[in-house]
Amino acid sequence: MTSTDDLRGYQVETLGELLDGPSMRARGVDVSADALTDGTTSLTWLEYIDRVGHLAGALAAAGVRRGDRVAVNLHKSAESFVAVHAVLRTGAVMVPLDPLAPPDLATELLVDSDAEVLVSDAAPDRLALLCERTLVRTVLSPAADDPNPSAAGSDITMVGRAQIASSTDCGLVAVDPDEAAYIIYTSGSTGRPKGIVHSHRSALAYATTAACVYGLDRDDRLANVAPLHFDQSTFELYAAPLAGSIVLVVPEPHLRFPASLSELIERERITVWYSVPYLLAQLSTRGVLDERDLSTLRWVLFGGEVFPPSQLAGLMRQLPGARFSNVYGPAEVNQCTIHNLPGPPTGDAAVPIGGAWPGAEIELVEPDDPHTAVPRGAPGVLIVRTPTMMTGYWHRPDLTSATIVERRTADGSTEHWYRTGDLAVERDGGDLEFLGRLDNQVKLRGYRIELEAIDVVLGDIDLLSAGTVILDVHEDGEDRLIALVVPRTAADRSDVDSQDAVSASVLAELRARLPRYAVPAEVRLVQSLPRTATGKIDRIAARELIDLPTSAQSSEPKTKLNGGPFT
Amino acid sequence: MTTPHVSAHAAIPDAQTVDDSFGDRLTEHISMHVALDGNVTIERETNLLLTGLVDSLGVMMIIEWIESDLGISINAGDVVLENFLTVEAMLDFVGTQ
Repeated sequence: MTSTDDLRGYQVETLGELLDGPSMRARGVDVSADALTDGTTSLTWLEYIDRVGHLAGALAAAGVRRGDRVAVNLHKSAESFVAVHAVLRTGAVMVPLDPLAPPDLATELLVDSDAEVLVSDAAPDRLALLCERTLVRTVLSPAADDPNPSAAGSDITMVGRAQIASSTDCGLVAVDPDEAAYIIYTSGSTGRPKGIVHSHRSALAYATTAACVYGLDRDDRLANVAPLHFDQSTFELYAAPLAGSIVLVVPEPHLRFPASLSELIERERITVWYSVPYLLAQLSTRGVLDERDLSTLRWVLFGGEVFPPSQLAGLMRQLPGARFSNVYGPAEVNQCTIHNLPGPPTGDAAVPIGGAWPGAEIELVEPDDPHTAVPRGAPGVLIVRTPTMMTGYWHRPDLTSATIVERRTADGSTEHWYRTGDLAVERDGGDLEFLGRLDNQVKLRGYRIELEAIDVVLGDIDLLSAGTVILDVHEDGEDRLIALVVPRTAADRSDVDSQDAVSASVLAELRARLPRYAVPAEVRLVQSLPRTATGKIDRIAARELIDLPTSAQSSEPKTKLNGGPFT
Repeated sequence: MTTPHVSAHAAIPDAQTVDDSFGDRLTEHISMHVALDGNVTIERETNLLLTGLVDSLGVMMIIEWIESDLGISINAGDVVLENFLTVEAMLDFVGTQ
C-alpha cells in the first residue's frame, strides 16, 4: 500500500485553487485538455475555469462573501460541478441539496444553514416553496435562458444564463484552510438533519490521499456516480481536478438502466469508478457486460454499504482487468480504511474493510469507554484519528462533542478522535471486518438512515396510534424498509378498503417528509406493536410480526412475505 | 431518439395486444403504481426519467408489467434509456418485439 511518504505535495491549500487557472498551470495541468463532460456538455479545463469564474462573479455580485453559505440544488450535470467550484471560488461554504428531496426537508436545510443565495435548476413551483420560508433572496439558474423574474416570488432576484455569462470573475477569494468549505447533511436520530462541516484542509487531505492511493493522473477518466449531497462525490469533485483527471458526470437516468450505463462506461473509456455496491451489482446482473468492452477500467471503488461477497465475486470475474477496492469511512471522515481485493472472494465470508489508509489511525474501543481499547480479536467500536476528519456538526456543539473523543497523550497534547458508532473486529492477519452498528442506523443503497427519524415522522401522523420501521435485508442486495403501523381507529384496522386508504395516506405523508431513499417500500398495518419494559417500541420483536429474523444483520433466507397479519 | 434499440431474439406477441388500449393501460399503470409524484399528469410524451418521476425500482416495475401483460420476455440488452424514456418510446419498442 502507498505510505504517507508517497503522498505528493500538490501545493494546494484551499479548494478554490483546484479550478483556478494560475494554480492549475503551476501544477502542470494542460488547460487546453478535456476536463469535464456529462454526455451533453463537454468542457476543457480552460472552459471549465472560465465558467467557474463567471458564476463566481455572479455570486459575488449577488452579495456572496467569504464564509456565507450558498446552497446548490442542481441535478447531476457538468453545470453542477461548475456551481460547486464557483461557490468555493468566492470563499463561501457550499451546501448541496438533494434536488429530489421533499420541499419541506430542503427548506429545513436552507433554514439550518442560513443560506441567502441558491443555485438551482428547480421548476418555479418548487423554487417558490424553497424561498417562501427561508432567508433565500437570490436564485441563480445557470440553465435558464430567460428566467421569469417573479418565478420564485416577487421579492426574489432571479439571475439567468445570460447575466451569469456576462458577469466578471471576482477572482479567487483567499480563505484560511481551516475555514468551512462545505456542509453535507445527513439524517439525525431525532429526525432533525445534522450538517457535517468539512474544512478546506480536511477536504484536501481526503482528495490528496485518494489521488495518491489510487494513482490518479491526467489520463484517468473518472465516472461521477454519486449526487452532490452524497459524500462519495467528493472524490470526483476534488481529487480529480487535483490530479488533472477527467470527470464524466453520469446523468441520473443512466443509473436506472444498467445496460445503458455499461454502454456509457465503454464509450467514455472510464478508468476509475466509485459507487455503492448496489449499482455495481445491477451492472453485473443486468448490464450485459459480455457485450461490452470495459477493459479501460483499472479501479473499481465501492463503499457506503456491505457488498455481498457472491455478487462481488461475480462482478470481479466479469471485469478481470480491474482492481477492486473496498472503501470504508463515514461522511465525517470521507474515507479511513481501505481493502484492495487480492482476487474474487471465495465462500460467503464478509469482505474486510481492511486497515487504516495513509494518514489515518484506527482503534477499536469499548462501546461505553472510548479511552479503552478492546483486547485484540474482540469486537469494538471503531474510532479514527485522521486529517480528513470534519471540523464538527454545523451549529451543533452538543452533537460534535458527543462524537469527537478528546484524548490526552503522554506528552500532554490533545488528540481528537471521531467515534463512528460502527462495530468492527480485527481478523487474523490484521484486516478489520465491519460487524454492524451500535445504534439503529442502517445503510440503504449507501445512504445513512436513522430508523428513529422515520419513527418520529410516523409518530406525527394523526391516523396512527403507533408506528415503527424495520429493514428487511435480502441476500440479493434488494433490501427494503417496511413501516409497521397501528391505525388509530378500529374501523381502519378491520375494513380492507379502509386499510388501503390508511396505507396510502401514510405513504404520502412519509414521501412529503423524508428523502426518497428513506421512504419505506411498504406500509403494513398491524394490531399492535410490541413494547419494551420501559414502554418503547421493541423494533427487534416487531420483526417477528411479519416473520422476519430478529437479527437485523441476518442474511438467512427470508420467509416469503405474502399477506399481512390482517389478511 | 426515434429508433428503438432492438435485439434479434425477441418473442413475438400477438399483434392484437399492442393496441391503443395497451398504451392507455400502460400509462395508467405508471401513473397509479410507479410514478413517485402523484401530482404530475403522465401523458405518452412525458419524459419519465429526467425529473426523477420513475426510479430504478420503477423501471423494473414497468418491465415486469409489460412482460406479464403481453406475455413477452424483454432482453436485458434492450432495457436501455431510449426504449423507456416515455410511454411512446415503450410502445415503439414493444411494437418491434
